[in-house]
Amino acid sequence: MHIHAYEKLWLAASLLLILFLLGSVTYGAVGPGVAMVTDSEPAIDAGALDEDERFSEPRVEQVGENEYEAYVLAFQFGFQPDPIVVPENSTVTFYVTSRDVIHGFEVVGTNANTMVVPGEVSEITVETDGPAEYGIVCNEYCGAGHHAMEGKLEVVPQSEFDERTNGGDGE
Amino acid sequence: MGRNETAHGSANDVSGDIEEFDPIGTLTLIGIYFVILVLSWVYIYYIEFLGRDLVIVG
Repeated sequence: MHIHAYEKLWLAASLLLILFLLGSVTYGAVGPGVAMVTDSEPAIDAGALDEDERFSEPRVEQVGENEYEAYVLAFQFGFQPDPIVVPENSTVTFYVTSRDVIHGFEVVGTNANTMVVPGEVSEITVETDGPAEYGIVCNEYCGAGHHAMEGKLEVVPQSEFDERTNGGDGE
Repeated sequence: MGRNETAHGSANDVSGDIEEFDPIGTLTLIGIYFVILVLSWVYIYYIEFLGRDLVIVG
């Protein structure tokens, strides 16, 4: 079979393009460590969150040297805690759940974005850089007040974080 | 014989690298599309996506 020389060229180019796209995604997973939001967390009872060890009192907790866990509750129409305060240059894992309907948890302008489903816990781990202030919005239509459902994420210096967590609840 | 995509070379130029049909315009267009695709992907993935804060790592 005779294949035109130009045709060989663009066949090769299209194969290269596919390899480049696959290679990029592989690089993202291996290099910067980009991960998907998984369903690794077991289901919980959305009607009994006030008895749940993590969500009865939504908060940010230190779990390792520079590791923090944020237990976030989404509801009609807001997020708790508000604001969510985390220290800079740390690893923060968000556990987000809903007590009523499906919500979204999107830290605006960042890649931190997940659905929040009642009865399920969405787990996302991110690494914070310097001090910053982000908005959080719900990106799943959740009712009449959906457009007003927002929260705030504050990445603050370590000293300020210690001050605010110790000052806040008298630990 | 018209110069179109079904045109066949005459019997004496079937062999060798000489092509009777020379769609250089198509090749150029495909080349431009290729460059656009590569540049957009580099921008979308490496600059817009990986460049944003709070990349999900787990």
